[in-house]
Formats: sequence, structure tokens, C-alpha cells
Amino acid sequence: MSLSTAFNIAGRSLRATSHQTQIVSRNVSEAGNPNYNRRIAVVSSTAPGSQVLTIQRAANSALFRANLSAVSSYEAQASLRVGIESMTQAVNGVENASSAATAIGSLYDALQIYSANPANASIAERAIDAARQVVRSLNSGSTAINASRVDADRQISGSVDELNQMLADFKDVNDEVIAGTIAGRDISEPLDKRDTLLQRIAEYVPISTIGRANNDMVITTTSGTTLFETLPREVSFEPASGYTAGSAGNQIYLDGVPLPIGTGGDTNSNGKLAGLIQLRDQVAPALMAQLDEIARGMIEAFAEVDRSGGGGPALAGLFSWSGGPALPTAGTLSNGLASRIIINPAMDSSVGGNASVLRDGGANGANYVANASGGASYADLLISYQARLDQPISFDPVAGAGATASVMAYSTNSISWLESVRKKADEAQLAKEALVMRTSEALSNSTGVNMDQEMSLLLELEQSYQASSRIIQAVDEMFAALFQAAG
Amino acid sequence: MKTVAVSSHSIRQALRYSMSRMQNDLVSAQKESTTLRVADVGLALGARTGHSVSLARDVSRLNSLIDSNQLAASRLSSTQSALAQLNERGEELRTALTAALSGSSDPGIARADSDAMLETLTSIMNTSINGEYLFAGINTDVQPLANFKDPTSPARVSFDNAFQTHFGFTQTDPAAANITETQMLDFIDNVVEPQFMGADWNTNWSTASDDTIVARIGLNETAKTSVSANESGVRKLAMAAAISTSLLSGPVNSGAVSAVVNRALAYTAEGIAEITDARSNAGIQENRISNASSRIEMQIDIFERSILDMEGVDPYAAASKVSALVTQIETAYSLTSRIQQLSLLKFLG
Repeated sequence: MSLSTAFNIAGRSLRATSHQTQIVSRNVSEAGNPNYNRRIAVVSSTAPGSQVLTIQRAANSALFRANLSAVSSYEAQASLRVGIESMTQAVNGVENASSAATAIGSLYDALQIYSANPANASIAERAIDAARQVVRSLNSGSTAINASRVDADRQISGSVDELNQMLADFKDVNDEVIAGTIAGRDISEPLDKRDTLLQRIAEYVPISTIGRANNDMVITTTSGTTLFETLPREVSFEPASGYTAGSAGNQIYLDGVPLPIGTGGDTNSNGKLAGLIQLRDQVAPALMAQLDEIARGMIEAFAEVDRSGGGGPALAGLFSWSGGPALPTAGTLSNGLASRIIINPAMDSSVGGNASVLRDGGANGANYVANASGGASYADLLISYQARLDQPISFDPVAGAGATASVMAYSTNSISWLESVRKKADEAQLAKEALVMRTSEALSNSTGVNMDQEMSLLLELEQSYQASSRIIQAVDEMFAALFQAAG
Repeated sequence: MKTVAVSSHSIRQALRYSMSRMQNDLVSAQKESTTLRVADVGLALGARTGHSVSLARDVSRLNSLIDSNQLAASRLSSTQSALAQLNERGEELRTALTAALSGSSDPGIARADSDAMLETLTSIMNTSINGEYLFAGINTDVQPLANFKDPTSPARVSFDNAFQTHFGFTQTDPAAANITETQMLDFIDNVVEPQFMGADWNTNWSTASDDTIVARIGLNETAKTSVSANESGVRKLAMAAAISTSLLSGPVNSGAVSAVVNRALAYTAEGIAEITDARSNAGIQENRISNASSRIEMQIDIFERSILDMEGVDPYAAASKVSALVTQIETAYSLTSRIQQLSLLKFLG
């Protein structure tokens, strides 16, 4: 009977080999899929000739966790950097060409030319036009910052929807894993899907996972808030309808707990959502406050004083605002001033004013006229404005660009502040990007498919298939010889 | 069992990341080697970007100072040449008056010369450049000096009225022949002189302001860059010419003539001296302006050098960076194609 046993063993071997071949071909076909974990067919022998084939899935949970955390920190950094980059372009322009600092510099030059030709009306208009450029730069900078905050809200809102959808998908896949485990099926497929989902969720929020019985998985954020446990928890966010200077944005709630936000250009925020909130709630408002302070500095520098001896208050000159002609409170941030600053209508020829009021003073009535004789080449007031642009005044330290500086210097401080945040963000992004590359490479090396290995395995299987076939053939011949002898 | 530590996916992706970084670097290196400035000033300087913006702004404001200084200098040099002409005409008047005084020529010649002097003085003082009156002080949009030759001008009317009030008849009245030398001297010293040297000058003769044009010539330096028609030298020349042209027009006797010519000569001499003073003052301002401009040019040089220090790129370094990157990228390309060839499949029969 042992001949027929040999026959049977060879047959089972053929079956096991073709099964393994199937897995090899599956591995080969998925070699290009970065989210595919290599399957390994494990053949174990029990009783003589009886082979059990189980499928293992290559996994490396330590590398996988490192990759998840690298992805989160990279995504936060990237969204912050992109936001800062586009805000820098929108507020300061390419090479700071449309920044308030540059516009103030041009105004200074225009004043110099005007003070050398005080009687020339067209040069006076040019000075007013330079002042208009300052107003435009501040107005459009402030609009751009508000727009970028609204845009951040829109992105957050979209991302929160995607995150909720992914958590819902996660439930389906997780259920499949549990059911498969209980039934003892091959669950490699749903595990792959689950890992892919985890990687995508980690792009939005930093997560850690806890394994439970039957391959069940719980997702929490790294700060401990539960995102998924048997059922997905709700992530909620209410976008603001619009932003003004000083207005606060809404929080993102994960299962009722606000999402923690990091600080700094090289941010310690994790996940795209935290990066966006940091941009919206830290970088944008600080830049806005600096623009507001520049606007206040300009209104102060060009303020007119009472020259009648009547002791009237200093009032807004070339630059006024919606609360004018009174000056905004000195040394204190006045929210939204950059969007409310205007050219004094008394000097703005486009609304019936006269540019020569800039030279003579008197936008606020006869008591404020500096050029008493009315001479057309009076330049003293213009020269004093230039000096005032260089005089230190106090700024609100809340805005983060220094406390005492001339308005000229303050405007460049603001550029320095923004560019230093951008530089840090850019450098940090490079480092974090490299980390993501490194960890995913390590993960891929550890769990991915190597074609050459699969090919050599295939050769091995081919050999074993041929050997088994030879055995069948040999046994067949033996039976034939036996039958012949018996015949 | 898993024995290899590299997946086909990583092999294929290995060069992708470094390739995209190198290509990024190549773009900025190319930009740097053509512009010789760092590709992104903000990323290169970070917190120092504000400093570079502020230096660029300083350069531009210093340049605008140089431009405006040129304007002030050209105004002063026009002033100089106008005053020089005035001095020349003053000297001629002095010669004519001296000749008249010594009796070697007819007083009529001196009178005609004064007439011409008055015309020249008025036209020089009313010189305008670019629509601005040069000698008007800061009141540059109004013609500064009244034309004495026009019988209706306030200068002429007030002069004639003063004569009429003092003597009771006009200059050309036959009674003028009776004016004595003492009377004439009294009229000139006590009636005419206040009209020129006192506050009346500003009502009758001149609309110029005493304040002259102030210009900023350096970051913290201002200069007076014009001369007003109210300078006492101008007033004295105007007075010398006015008395000799007006008081000699009637049938005055020789005593009165000598009084007029004497006084006219004295005022002319003083006027010439004072205008020379004004010219040297203007010269001092011109000199200050040219000094300020050359100081500013030095500053611009220094600022531009610091901008270059901050933002500049060494052309050799930039060029060699480009060629190094090109070589690296080429290597990466050829490696990629070699790796694509690398497969066991090729060797399996």
C-alpha cells in the first residue's frame, strides 16, 4: 500500500505547490503597491504527507507606528508652510515688492521730491499717490489675511468631512477583520485596507492604535482622545462665516475634546488639521496685528498739531481712518486699523480734496495750517514728516514685532518676523519630508515585495512541482511494471 | 520567512525623492547663477530679511536725496548767475553815476542808465524756472517785483504820491526847479528810504517772502537754497535806480541833481557789496550741497555693499553648484535606467 501512499503524498505536494504559486503570483502582481504587505505561505507538515498551508502577512508594527507619526508631523508642517508661503505672497508680494515697508519707502522718496519742488502740483499728486499705495498695501494685506483665514476654515471643514468618512470606512474594515479572525479566514486583505486607512487618518490627526482581542483596533489621538472604538467618534467643526481682525476662529472637536495645537515655525503641531488651525489662529492674527500697528504708526506720523496756540488735540493728517479725525489710542493695538486706514479726503483729489494741503497743513481747519504765509515753496512741514517717519514711537508688544521703533523700522521688522517664520517652516518641512521618506522606505523594505525573491521562490516551486510530477510518473511506472508482472 | 531587507518598490522609489530635491535645487541654482542674488531672499536671510529691505529702502531714499540735491544745486547756480548779472549792471550804473557826479557827463546819461538798470533788475528778480519765480522766497507762484516803469504799478504810485505829498507838486512840475539840495536830501533820507528799506517795500514793491526755500540736502541736514528779492542789496540797487530815474526826470537844479546822484551812488555801492555777500552765501550753500551729495554717494556705496554681502551669490560658487547638480542628476538618471534593467527575470530562461 505504500506505493499508493507515495502517490497521494505527491498529489498533495502538487496542490500545496500550486497554492504557493498562487501566492507568489499575487505578491508579484502587487509589487508596485506601496500599501500591500507581502504574503507568506507557510507550509507545515503534520502527519506524514499531510500539509497545512497558512498565509502570513509581513508586518512591522514599530516601523508602521514610526511612519504614522512622521506622516502626521510632516502634514502639519506642510500645511503650515504652504499657508505661510501664500500669505507672504499675498501680503508682501514677490520679493516684498508690495509690502507696506516698500510702499512707505516710496512715500518717503515721494515726500523728498515733493519737498524739493513744493510748488509743483503734479509732484504733490505723486506724493498723494505714493500715500495711496501705502493705504492699498495695508488694505489689501488685511483683506488677504482675512481671506486666508476663511480659506483655512474651508480646508479644515473639508478635511473634517473626509476624516469622518474615513472613520466610517474604518468601522467596516475593522468589522471585516474581526469577523474574519473569528471565522479563521485569511484576513490579509482587510488588514491591508485597514493600514492604508490608518495612514490616511494620520495625515489629518496624530494617532496611536491599541490592538484588542480578535484583531480589533482602537484609534486614539496621541493626546489620548478616542477617535474609534467599535464605533467611529464624531469629529466636528463649525467654519466661521467670515473673519475680521481680532476675531477668533472655531475649534475642532474630536469626540467633544478640542484638538490640541502646537506653536512655532518649526511647528510641534501634528496632522494637517492642527497645522491649518495654527496658521489661522497664530500666524495670520499676528501678521494682521502688525499691519494694524503699521497703519496706526502712519496715522501718528502724519498727525497735524494745533498751531493757533488754542491747545487743540493732534488730529489725523495725510492718513486718516474711519474713526478720524481723532487719532487712535497711542501705543495700543487697534484691531482692523489696516483695513480702515484711508487718505484724508481733504488731500485726496479723487474725492474733491487738494494735494497741497499736505504741504501747508490744515486738513482739520485753519488752526492746523502750518504754512501761515501761504508761500507755494514752503517745505518745512514736508521735511518734518520725513523726520517723523524716522522717529521712534511705541508699538503694542502684543503684535510681536517689537515695542519701540520708527514706523519705517517697524514695517521691516514685520517682514523679518514673517520671513523668519517662513524660513523655519521651510527648513523643518525639508527635515520632516525626509523623515517620512525614510520611514516609509524602511516600512516598505520590511513589509513590501521583492520581485527577485519571488522569482527565486517560483523557481524553487517549479523544481518541487517537477519533482512531485516525477514521483507520480515513477509510481505510475512501478504500478505498470507490477501489473505487467502480475498480468 | 523574510530574509531580504529591500523591497522592489523601494528600489524603484529610491532615487525619486533625491531626484526631485536635486531638480528643485537646480532651478534655484540656475536662478542664482544668472541673477547673482540668492534665489529666495526670505528663505536665505530669515529674520534678517527686514534688514535687507530696509537697506534697499535707504539706498532708494539716498538716491532721491541726490536727485533733489541736483535740483537745489541748479536753482542755486541760476541764482548765482542772475546775481552776477545784477552786479555787472550795478557796476555800470556806478560808472555812469560817478561820471555824472564829477560833471564829466550829463546827468541825463546817468538817468538813462538807471532806467536800464531798473528794467534789468526787475527782469532778473522776476526770473522764473519751471514756472517758479527764483527770487520770490517761498512765495514762488507770484511774480515778486512790481514794474516801477509802469505808471500804475503800486511801487510807482506810492513813490509819486510820496513826492506829491512832500513837495506839493509832481516831479515834472516847473516848481521842481526850486527844490534845494537840502530839501532833496531830506526827501530821500526820510521819505524815500523807509519806502525801500522798511515794511512798505513788501506792500509796494515786492510780494516775495523773506523766508527762502529750505531743502533737505542730507538725512539730517537742511539748507537755504534760494535768495529772496527782499535782500537789502536788491532793495538798495532798486532804490538807487528808482531815485535817479524818477527824481532826475523833472527840471531839477544842479544842487538837487548832485544830492540825487550822491545818494544813488552811495546806495549802488552798498547794494553791490551786499549782493556780493549774498552770492558768497549762495556759494557756501552750493558747496554744502555738493559735499552732502558726495557723502551720500559714499553711504550708498556702503549700503549697496552690505546688500550685496547679504543677498549676493559668488558667481563661481553658483556656476559650480549648477554643474555639480547637473552631474548628479545625470548620474541619477543613468542609475535609474540601470536599476530598471536589474531583474532576475532577464536571467530566467
